[in-house]
Amino acid sequence: MKKVKIIAGITWAFICLILIIILFPGLNSFSASAAKLPFMKINPNYSGGEVAQQLIATGCTLDIRKPVFDGLIKKRNKGFVQLDWRGNVPDKIVDTIDYDLDNKPDFCIFVDRDQSKTVLYPINSKVRDIIISTPTSYGWAVRVELIK
Amino acid sequence: MDNALTSSGMKKSFGRSLLYTLPMFLITFMFMTGGRPDFSRPASALAMVVTFLLVNILYFLMHYTGKTDKLRAILFIIFALSLSFTLINNMLETRNSMSFSQADILECKIPFCHLVIPMMILPAAFTNSIIFPGSIIGGFANIASMVVLWLVATLVLGRGFCSWGCFYGGWDDGFSRIRKKPAIKKISEIWKWMPFAVLIMVSLTAALSLIPTYCDWICPFKAVTEFEQVTSVESATKAVIFVSLFAGLVVVLPVLTRKRTQCSFLCPLGAINTVSNKVTPFTIKIDKKACTECFKCVEVCPLFALSTEGIKEGKVSVFCSKCGKCVDACSKNAIHFGIKGVPSGTMKNFSRNLFLFVSFLFMSVFSAGSIINSLQSLLNLIF
Ligand code: SF4
Ligand code: SF4
Repeated sequence: MKKVKIIAGITWAFICLILIIILFPGLNSFSASAAKLPFMKINPNYSGGEVAQQLIATGCTLDIRKPVFDGLIKKRNKGFVQLDWRGNVPDKIVDTIDYDLDNKPDFCIFVDRDQSKTVLYPINSKVRDIIISTPTSYGWAVRVELIK
Repeated sequence: MDNALTSSGMKKSFGRSLLYTLPMFLITFMFMTGGRPDFSRPASALAMVVTFLLVNILYFLMHYTGKTDKLRAILFIIFALSLSFTLINNMLETRNSMSFSQADILECKIPFCHLVIPMMILPAAFTNSIIFPGSIIGGFANIASMVVLWLVATLVLGRGFCSWGCFYGGWDDGFSRIRKKPAIKKISEIWKWMPFAVLIMVSLTAALSLIPTYCDWICPFKAVTEFEQVTSVESATKAVIFVSLFAGLVVVLPVLTRKRTQCSFLCPLGAINTVSNKVTPFTIKIDKKACTECFKCVEVCPLFALSTEGIKEGKVSVFCSKCGKCVDACSKNAIHFGIKGVPSGTMKNFSRNLFLFVSFLFMSVFSAGSIINSLQSLLNLIF
């Protein structure tokens, strides 16, 4: 029994030695495999959610994302919708948004990029407030708070 | 023969030490240069040569002097400093500041670090997603590669990760070495369970809020990496918390106690590494026949892993990070590196050689990139 334990211990130690030796040269492929695991995607609370609609105007695209209400187990009562303006974004943005795709406007938004001023005009009572309005590397992004 | 080693028994002759260093020399050469050293840019070539020599000289000295901890700490501390330097330098170059903005969060551009892992687990299980605004693959410090690196390291080294792998541990390790003697000697051992309380708290709060609460509110290492822009009362409160924790647990207490207080009393990943200490084959063993119960080892252990009762029973606790400080302090060579399953007091040299190769190889390859990077930036600044 003592011998078996010694052999098992030393074998495990040598397996660990091999693991460390192959870890760094294999890191890119191990990481690529790990990235394919089902949970390896950024939570919508950070990523902003999937793009649900894309409105294209001259040189500028507006991505309206799916509203995010994700909680640990069930949907939360409070959430947000993220809007991303990309490309040649005008200095003053004025848009009317139908985030729930019911063909009725839910809010109007006005962004003065030079003044860093954002004004929200809620139409739908589920639309609450501006959470974030910020310049980004691709243009401008806004998160608007919603309730269910 | 191995059993009867004295304190200097781990020393090797010059030639033998060189022979033991040869595999490390070849492997680190391959990893750092890809087999084809590039001398076209003098600053990067010089940085690479210095880093290469540094790691191999340290490894050689571990064999030649028979000592582990001080030589390990040199690279461990340089790793911590260089990682912070690289990160801050990168932030200053790209953003002109150490703070990240809301846009960086929205664009998922925050570098991932292993301390987030404890908070990822429950949300990943329930929501099938990662609650961190970083990049899954590609780019600097992406989530997939950091998770792979930590997983393998914690499996192989257990809590040894905290003395041979973590790029934060070098901070409190470094500060704990500043004074020769501790100004505060008595600290209740109960505090060493604190990281488990922190682990439970941050895991639950992160799961409920889907926010990595430790990073958001607590992590002291934001003081030497990056932090949220102070734009509100909330972000100012967060800044006060992380700066105070850094000053208290990473600087002041380690200086006064000569213990690694942040790692012992706060870090939730340290708690997980403690659990994985059960899996790793490498351990610290006590040769009861050789032990004279002087308890020098208990006194020097920076992570509260040893107790007088434990020594009497020949037990080292799971809090051990295999730093080797106790091994170096023991004049009888009674406490030694070991392999699970191998009886204590036997195969001391073999176990140490194998463990040193595995742990040092991990640390040198993991740290090389940021050390080379920092040296290169410093050289570019000077010349
Ligand atoms: S306890 Fe935490 S901060 Fe300290 S070395 Fe371990 S993982 Fe790093
Ligand atoms: S028991 Fe020894 S090797 Fe382990 S943490 Fe303490 S001093 Fe380091």
